[in-house]
Amino acid sequence: MSDPVRVTPEGWEGRAPDGWEWVTLWDAVETGDHIYADERVQQAIDADIDPRNILDDGLFPGFNLQAERFSAQIIFIPEMLITARAMKAGLALIRPLLAAMAVKPAGTFVMGTVLGDMHDIGQSIVTIMLENAGFNVINLGTDVHPDKFIETAIEEKADLVGFSALLSTTVYYQKVTIEEFQKAGHRDKVHILIGGAPTTPAWVEECGADGWGKDAVEAVNLALKLVKEPREAWA
Amino acid sequence: MADTVKVTFVDAEDDSKKRSTTVERGKTLLDAGHAAGIEIEATCGARGRCRTCRIKVLSGEVPPPTIQDTVQLGHEEVRENFRLACQTKIIADTRVVALPPKAESGHQILSSDTSVADDARMTLDCGVAKHVTKATTPTDEHHQTSDWEETLRVLPEDVSQDGSLEVLRKVPSAIRTDGGQITVTTFNNKIIDVEAGDTSEHIYGMAFDIGTTSIVGSLINLTTGENLADVGGVNPQAVYGGDLMSRIAYAQFDEKKLATLRVRALNAINNFVKDACKQSGVAAEHIYKIVIVGNTCMHHIILGVDVTYVGLAPYAPVIRDSLAVPARDLPLKAAINAQVCLLPIVAGFVGADTMACVLATRIYDSDEIRTLVDIGTNGEVVMGSKDGLMVCSAPAGPALEGAQIRHGMRGALGAIEKVYIDDDVTCDIIGATPAIGICGSGLIDACAKLATAEVMEPSGRLRRKKREELPEKLQERLVDTSDGCHFVLVEEEDSGRDEPIVITQADIRQVQLAKSAIFSGIVMLQHVMKISDDDLQEVMMCGGFGNYINIESAVKIRLIPNLPLEKITYSGNAALMGAQMALLSETERDRAYDLSLKMEHVALATRPEFQDIFVDAMTFLGPDTHVGNSQSEENEMVAAGGAD
Repeated sequence: MSDPVRVTPEGWEGRAPDGWEWVTLWDAVETGDHIYADERVQQAIDADIDPRNILDDGLFPGFNLQAERFSAQIIFIPEMLITARAMKAGLALIRPLLAAMAVKPAGTFVMGTVLGDMHDIGQSIVTIMLENAGFNVINLGTDVHPDKFIETAIEEKADLVGFSALLSTTVYYQKVTIEEFQKAGHRDKVHILIGGAPTTPAWVEECGADGWGKDAVEAVNLALKLVKEPREAWA
Repeated sequence: MADTVKVTFVDAEDDSKKRSTTVERGKTLLDAGHAAGIEIEATCGARGRCRTCRIKVLSGEVPPPTIQDTVQLGHEEVRENFRLACQTKIIADTRVVALPPKAESGHQILSSDTSVADDARMTLDCGVAKHVTKATTPTDEHHQTSDWEETLRVLPEDVSQDGSLEVLRKVPSAIRTDGGQITVTTFNNKIIDVEAGDTSEHIYGMAFDIGTTSIVGSLINLTTGENLADVGGVNPQAVYGGDLMSRIAYAQFDEKKLATLRVRALNAINNFVKDACKQSGVAAEHIYKIVIVGNTCMHHIILGVDVTYVGLAPYAPVIRDSLAVPARDLPLKAAINAQVCLLPIVAGFVGADTMACVLATRIYDSDEIRTLVDIGTNGEVVMGSKDGLMVCSAPAGPALEGAQIRHGMRGALGAIEKVYIDDDVTCDIIGATPAIGICGSGLIDACAKLATAEVMEPSGRLRRKKREELPEKLQERLVDTSDGCHFVLVEEEDSGRDEPIVITQADIRQVQLAKSAIFSGIVMLQHVMKISDDDLQEVMMCGGFGNYINIESAVKIRLIPNLPLEKITYSGNAALMGAQMALLSETERDRAYDLSLKMEHVALATRPEFQDIFVDAMTFLGPDTHVGNSQSEENEMVAAGGAD
């Protein structure tokens, strides 16, 4: 298996001031230097670069490379997390600008770890990657009661809901939570994704979810695909 | 692999006088002494029942102490590397001092009173007693009496009955078989058996450590403390899930599946009892006390108690108390009313096995701050001193026991247990046969040596860049396949399989998850208790690694903190040792209960710092980091990670 290579965004020079360099930020995101990422994104903002270009040309190349490596098991959780942390630092600066520009989010995603489960490393990686992909993510944290998921989905008029479970003993609550959505009459208003180490495609069928990703990258791609498929409208 | 080892005996009075001999690996130090012509007395016949063969180990690896070492020599001496020569198997070149016999007071160990002078040694008060007496049978038809009353009449007053039907059913024939001579067995003064004749010689017990992955046990003479048989094997529940959580998930909300797990464990234990009896010639009906330790999940399953809610936050156990239940209720094959004692549970997954480790290491008695790390499928860390102990449970998974690893296996015949890497690779294999797999200690060693040789980066990634800088043989051993990368430890032609023995990138990831779970448990307790690396006086590693774990390698992979190596010890299977102690001593069993109430549990996953600590714990020490350092590098790394 060969190591993936970084894809340089085509024509980025035309979208930046003369003499501007992105390569330092690409490296910073790849190696997880969140202090530099924060600094460089601020410089880019000060240089009046369009926030959308900061995201696509500045932050994504390093992040996508690591995501691909993570997917291929070449790098592991620590490297992915520090990259995510650097990404988050940059994103924090440009998100308000994007919002001010009324850039419409790709969709609204309610995320959380199910009842009885306190793990959040996996879902926090997925959360940041969904945000990168333009989703408005409401992360409810861990040990989330089914009612809380439903309540939040209603409030936020969610397009997608994601249940993470990291224990073989708690995947059961993915099924329970889906049943609760059904009982409350909201099952058909959202796409439900599940994930976590003990979950499998077979479990998706059994628990009645709409989809599953073997890793964060797949989960985000699936979310991007599903969000385009219409669901029943929220009242 | 050399099958002989060199043992050097140094004179107790004059250390310039030495005598050396070469003996087969696995022989005892007593055998070696005799081979070297050294007079080491062994008045009990090399059965670990006296301390005349006491020696002191000066250098070289020796196996962790046995229960006999502890019973005979006491914890202080064992800690100072005193051992019984008859019990100490030689596993590597060793230097020892043979000592003149200590004033022998062999009878004291039989007495049940704790004399201050004998403090160092463990009190033998197993709770089981036999009363040999002569019962009369009722003779007069008009006399209002019964077999049972006649039996009770000849027993000491403090002996009471609990109305056990099984005992009652044995009475009529027992008192009429041997001219009325009977042996009445009591446990804490309650009658648990009545037999014909004098069987007072035969009081035995068994200690078991029921791990998620493996079960080990031993059969012990409760009068003398002598260990008569060791048994062990895999936990047959493992087919229903390798780690604790998948085991619980299997039985969750399903009584029948819970029963399946329970029956599997009990069958295994019963087979081990049978094995032990066969090995020692002891009759199972003379086993009166069985001490079982295990994590909360194993503990509950054996009792047939629902584990559903143990698997869901907040992971509360059903019961924490110290228990004693009749063997027939499980059932276990022993004397019909034999008492099966389960040590208490501290909290959550910190179970009776951890309690046993605490007993065995006496960490509760320490003036200085020590930490005890029990490495298993579920790892536990205990930290503190006599001023208080904190404990946490770290879900390591079964990787360090060789499970869920491509060529992983238990530490048995054919397992790679040591790995050497210079320009090429050499492995030590248990039993010096062709390798068929790699066990936990081998995996730890392999990862450490790969990191040192820069075949693996500190991130755990098998090297991809500049491989041409590696020695040629090592380059050849790094193989890229369609499903990832692996490193060949033993080539096909030397392997006992029809394929090479390898360690894969995925295997290394499993080891990383396991070791960082345990490492972050240690760091978390240090963080909560505000204990720096320098404050830690000792790290005691325990676990079922057999005789061997390379401490330097454990430091290198960051399973344990990088402290000066003399501060790190390996205590073997301390859980089993603690079970043996509770078997031989009700004082120790009571102590476990008291301690369980005092220890403070720290729930790792709920602490916000956990993620950063866990992630920081995943890397290995770099090739240039000195192992055995007391520099507080780890703390700095945690601080850096926590700065987010």
